[in-house]
Amino acid sequence: MASIDLPSPGTQASTWTSPGREQWTTVLHSWVTTVDHKRLGILYVGCGLVFLLIGGAEAAMMRFQLFFAQNDLLSPQVFNRFFTMHGTTMVFFVGMPIIIGMGNYLIPIMIGARDMAFPRLNAWGFWMFLFGGLIFYFSYLGGDGLYAAGTAPDVGWFAYAPLTGKAFSRGNSTDYWVLGILISGFGSIAGAINMITTTLSMRCPGMTLGRLPLFVWMMLIVSGLILIALSPLTAAQVMLLFDRFLGAHFFDTQAGGDAVLWQHFFWFFGHPEVYILIIPGFAYASEIIPVFSRKVIFGYPIMVGATCAIGLLSVGVWAHHMFVVGLGKGTAIWFAAITMLVGVPTGIKIFNWVGTMYGGKLHFRLPMLFCTAFLFQFLIAGLTGIMLAAAPFTWQLSDSYFVVAHFHYVLIGGLVFTIFGAIYYWFPKVSGRMVNETLGRWHFWLFTIGFQMTFTTMHVQGLLGMPRRIYTYPAERGWEVWNQITTAGVVFQGVGVLLFVIALIHALRRGEPAGDDPWNAWTLEWSTSSPPPAYNFAEIPEVRSRRPLWDLKHPDDPDWKYE
Amino acid sequence: MTNPEQPPIDPRPQGNPDVDPDVDPGSDPGIAMPAPTAAPMFLALGLSLLLAGLVTNELVSIVGLVAAVWGAIHWWREVLPSEHHEHVALQPEHERAQPVVARVGAVEHLQAGVEGHRVRVPAEMHPYTSGLKGGLAGAAAMAGIAMLYGLIAEASPWYPINLLSSVVLPAFNLADAAQLNAFSASALVTATLMHLGLSLLVGLVYAALLPMLPGRVLLWGGVVAPCLWSAVTWTSLGVVSPALAEHIQWAWFVASQIAFGLVAGAVIARSETIETLQTWPLAARAGIEGGGLPDLSDATDTGSDDAGNGDDGGRAQ
Repeated sequence: MASIDLPSPGTQASTWTSPGREQWTTVLHSWVTTVDHKRLGILYVGCGLVFLLIGGAEAAMMRFQLFFAQNDLLSPQVFNRFFTMHGTTMVFFVGMPIIIGMGNYLIPIMIGARDMAFPRLNAWGFWMFLFGGLIFYFSYLGGDGLYAAGTAPDVGWFAYAPLTGKAFSRGNSTDYWVLGILISGFGSIAGAINMITTTLSMRCPGMTLGRLPLFVWMMLIVSGLILIALSPLTAAQVMLLFDRFLGAHFFDTQAGGDAVLWQHFFWFFGHPEVYILIIPGFAYASEIIPVFSRKVIFGYPIMVGATCAIGLLSVGVWAHHMFVVGLGKGTAIWFAAITMLVGVPTGIKIFNWVGTMYGGKLHFRLPMLFCTAFLFQFLIAGLTGIMLAAAPFTWQLSDSYFVVAHFHYVLIGGLVFTIFGAIYYWFPKVSGRMVNETLGRWHFWLFTIGFQMTFTTMHVQGLLGMPRRIYTYPAERGWEVWNQITTAGVVFQGVGVLLFVIALIHALRRGEPAGDDPWNAWTLEWSTSSPPPAYNFAEIPEVRSRRPLWDLKHPDDPDWKYE
Repeated sequence: MTNPEQPPIDPRPQGNPDVDPDVDPGSDPGIAMPAPTAAPMFLALGLSLLLAGLVTNELVSIVGLVAAVWGAIHWWREVLPSEHHEHVALQPEHERAQPVVARVGAVEHLQAGVEGHRVRVPAEMHPYTSGLKGGLAGAAAMAGIAMLYGLIAEASPWYPINLLSSVVLPAFNLADAAQLNAFSASALVTATLMHLGLSLLVGLVYAALLPMLPGRVLLWGGVVAPCLWSAVTWTSLGVVSPALAEHIQWAWFVASQIAFGLVAGAVIARSETIETLQTWPLAARAGIEGGGLPDLSDATDTGSDDAGNGDDGGRAQ
């Protein structure tokens, strides 16, 4: 059997963005006033990566504090602020902008459109996200007012009532938490409206829903989830502002309010949010794995159906975060059962990705490496999720490091790994340059080893009874060695991320030209130049199958004969 | 349905771009794109400052309000009465996407059973009834070994039965040796149901999986699977049920698992295999009959004939 390798990078130079040739003020002005979906996508992802470095540094500081028992590197107050800022940053200012940014960049060129449906709303959404993030971090200066030493929020990323009440959270630090998320939330809602409208109304001729790339399908479902989940959170935050500024009592139990109501509002957002974050990871994997397995995705209609099922089920599982509240047997059984049901469509997806790889000619280039690791890690994340879906299990391990390990397996082992894979996959399209494979492989192995050291061990700490959010612990509990392995893993991950940044900068400055289609891929974005022109396509394309470039490359065996 | 005679349409520019009708025909043709504007940024900044005034100073809110109103007005003027566009010139020829090179004949198709290829399509499988029979036979073998252990080690055939029932009957978790050796009707019913249920399920899994595994069925079903299962149980039982873990003799446990695997595997392996629908065309699988459909006998003869793999992204089964 003949074996044909992926093609070498082409020789086409990129000139669409020409930094350095124009005055910096002109360049800055063009980026500030842009309504181009590609530039906004780059801004979203770039800002998300900057916040990733900040949130990662906060996590590293917490881990250094926990390296030794009875350590005093950080005070309890600073530790509380760090876990609040870290969690909030990673969910709202890293995960959300990166998934919306990737959607912004890719959806129009994958469906053969020239821009998003509402380009100005798109820009507004980005700036709302950015200003929300800046206000959130301004709390370090203004949390206690400008003339007192500022303090960042310290109520945790889900900010339970009544801790957020005026009586327990004095000053303005909690208000910054509310305002930062509230403002950026409007941006996310705008982004979701834009992605839905663009997908439904701007597809090129021939791009039926049955021919949409899986990436676009999944982002469509994510956008719907954003609308459903973020709106109640926004309402709850306005209610909390009323409590704190106008003397309302929505969440004040002493005045007839209900603290558990906040938990319902928050987790009605919070659990779909997990799927809002991880489904884009599925989307990246669903584009990358077929290309690097040299096979069409296994079970396209089932993948779409499974994503719809996850979307539907995900809005019915929120109270599994509240098993220890004391919801009653019937409620607990209902939410446990629905949570376990989510495992079915998720398992289907994993089987379909493995089915795609099975019998394929696997090319373990950088995007595929990250997606392969994702498959293993996300499987473990799913299994611990099923364990935590059982209410009695959660009664034992709620608020322990087992839970921390589980959701970091989902969000790092699942989402962050696929984000890295996606960046390596689409970076040549965005920049016109290839990333150095050696640097990328160092990044992959260091980050993977570090991830396993950090988060696999956390399961053990949890089973040994270590609660989350403690700033120190006594030596005799036997947790120290596990914490030291966990912290050592952070160092590996940090060096890995540093190499990732170096790899991107190196690629931008000295990377090999990528050509239009460096991976021999099949979707429409690879039919235009790298980077694409502002108008994406000089002529609106027309497609006849899910893989229009395949049809062109193989006119003797096109997909449209079979679909 | 797609007309197979109609070729795909090239999604690339063909040198006939959309020319903006507003542009002078004599000038460089461009494509109309939404014009850049700072209005969204100002509106976002204004709204953010408006809210930030809550935690800073009223002046911040006032500045924010002014910026927001300015941004909103300019936004409206961007789109009303007609949307502002800018004319983006087409890329120079040398920067445009290169034409796609067609590679006729480059597609390889999966051929089930070809040596060296990783694909193993389960074209034939054991019937589910053989799985049920194998599960029942394996259950009997396993029960025999377990009761033999009870008689030898504890002088009571009820010991392993009571022990198994302790997984769901809390009363047996803290039972002493005398209680574990005594007959209990509830324990017998519970343990029998659990044992039969699990054995039938594992038998079904064996029937489905064993044909897909390379090499000898008895090696996989009789040795590898029982050893793996025993290892998983050994590592996790201490967490799941510490009381049960304390009473188990692991050598006998592994022996009973292997007895199940060998017997169930043998029963399943001896059954006749039946053809699956894997290699049938979709229409045949759906039960559609009519002229023009592919010949079913061809499809079943060639295994995964349309399972393109290729250089090169073919279609899978």
